[in-house]
Amino acid sequence: MKNIYKPIEGVLENIITESSKIKTFVIRPKEHFEFKCGQFIELTLPGIGEAPFTPSSDPAVKEKIDVTIMNAGKVTSILHNSDKNISLGIRGPFGKGYPLHKFEGKDVLIVGGGVGLAPLRALLFGLFADIKKYNKIVFRYGARTAQDIIYKDQIPVWSAKEGVDWLTTVDVGDPSWKGHVGLITTVLNDLPIDMKKAVAIVCGPPIMMKFVTLKLLDLGFAPSDIYLSMEKSMSCGLGKCGHCRIGKFYICKDGPVFTYEELKDVHDIWD
Amino acid sequence: MSKIYFVATDKLSFLIERLKDTYTVFSPAAKVQNYTRDTDYSFQKHSSRDPLVFNPYRCVEPLKSFFTLSKEKASDYFISADNLKDLGQVIIFGVKSCDLAAHRVQDYVFLEGVVEDSLYRARRENTIIISSDCTAYKEVCFCLAMDVLPHPTAGFDINLSPLNDGFLAEVGSNRGQELIDNYPEYFSPAKDTQVSARAAKRNNLIERLKRDLAPKKIPPTSIQQRLVRDGFNLDTWNQFMQTCVECGGCNLICDTCHCFLLEDRKTSGTNEKIKMWDSCLYANYARVAGGANPNKLRAQRLRFRFTKKFDFFFEHLKMPACCGCGRCIEVCPGKIDIREVLKDLAKKLNLAQ
Repeated sequence: MKNIYKPIEGVLENIITESSKIKTFVIRPKEHFEFKCGQFIELTLPGIGEAPFTPSSDPAVKEKIDVTIMNAGKVTSILHNSDKNISLGIRGPFGKGYPLHKFEGKDVLIVGGGVGLAPLRALLFGLFADIKKYNKIVFRYGARTAQDIIYKDQIPVWSAKEGVDWLTTVDVGDPSWKGHVGLITTVLNDLPIDMKKAVAIVCGPPIMMKFVTLKLLDLGFAPSDIYLSMEKSMSCGLGKCGHCRIGKFYICKDGPVFTYEELKDVHDIWD
Repeated sequence: MSKIYFVATDKLSFLIERLKDTYTVFSPAAKVQNYTRDTDYSFQKHSSRDPLVFNPYRCVEPLKSFFTLSKEKASDYFISADNLKDLGQVIIFGVKSCDLAAHRVQDYVFLEGVVEDSLYRARRENTIIISSDCTAYKEVCFCLAMDVLPHPTAGFDINLSPLNDGFLAEVGSNRGQELIDNYPEYFSPAKDTQVSARAAKRNNLIERLKRDLAPKKIPPTSIQQRLVRDGFNLDTWNQFMQTCVECGGCNLICDTCHCFLLEDRKTSGTNEKIKMWDSCLYANYARVAGGANPNKLRAQRLRFRFTKKFDFFFEHLKMPACCGCGRCIEVCPGKIDIREVLKDLAKKLNLAQ
């Protein structure tokens, strides 16, 4: 009989510093493990606790997974101070992830904020695997300052890809930053997309998702074409423990990706 | 129609002694020596040679406590074999209709959905439920208002209805029938007069309860989903939350509440994942890393409890996650009464009866 709460073992193989508060943890699962982009896992420090994260690595790579994590709470701060080669628990994958087939033939607008770029990286790898299926990929990434930008050496590679239009903006500029300065909503005007066949994917802090969604609606996106990565207090990942309920949904099993159409009548989704 | 047998009171006592060879038998025990109208009953392991105590109404503990423990080990770490230990066979006497109605919610959560909880499944399969009719009710009882009758109609293996000199035993499942077939010497077919007597007793109790509930004007199930939806922004939540001390008692004692938390603990060098009951009235219930909390206010948390019971479960299970057992009313040190909350919503929305 399968114990649905039992984690599999993964070895923390490498730790990459992305910014002062964000690191990528490279984990090699000891058993077969795979996920679809947008699905999440519960990552455990045995004896200490677990927390939900969306892997940021290429879903096609089965032997290891990357999880990019901001130092924000109990589990994450201990993880940030860990050494390599410790054992971690992995439960999942949970949830439905991104419906890639619905993006085919479309102009795909992706709007990411802060560490929200992490799950979007898995999505990017998913899209890049079949990039010809999508009309174009327009990426708008916002970070607080230039120092908060993650995947610094990979962004230029992705931006240079054919069919990709990338722009990074920072909320607060500094002399070292030569790029765009301004909130993410300021780089959503005059997008090089055909609104008649575009979808938008948004992932970032709740306040950013709220204002980006409002902006996208303003621009004429249909609520059913806006895909939001929701995050609440997910614990079991299986729609049983109750914690991540919003309205009639559990984020863990019905999401974590929802269209705005599904959520627009649910109270307090941005809190 | 399902089969109905008669079992005499003394024979039932003998039967229970025999059952104890194979099963761990739980039955109600009165919490005080001298019975009064309001005596509380509690599920206890049936002690030797004691006659079966018939509880006229539900026990203090929710039935769920037999299937999900308040705190238990959910998993080891990285030990390849994780077999369920032998749980043993269990029989529970004294389960009531409200418990069974509530159990539909527990089954939905743990047996249906994305995947079933195998430990819950194993306990469910190892447990025989012998329910019984209510013959009285507490002040806090309001099952009829939740469309639940005070006698079991489904969800039991065997149901006992007290008559003067014994009990009618109605079969509710194959497992119940097997149990009776294994001990045929204790049972005889019920007579029509006995079945009519049962119906009369049942109707009599329903009429009494109806009469007592009428002046309480509890909003019917047909409008409860609308009440919590349309009443989302009413001041009802603030008003009733004034006396909440966030003890979580209402959730923990509730037979439909199923929320739990997975936590880790270290015991003598080994790490374990622990699963324990949780309460949406606790301040940190919905808090995420970094501190964001969609249910910061007590009023939001009270509302969360009600939208779960009266919106979410109507949406998914076509029933409220409330069986009218009144346990949450009894347990609340702040005297927050689920009936009064529904009534206040109805009044403010001009839907009062």
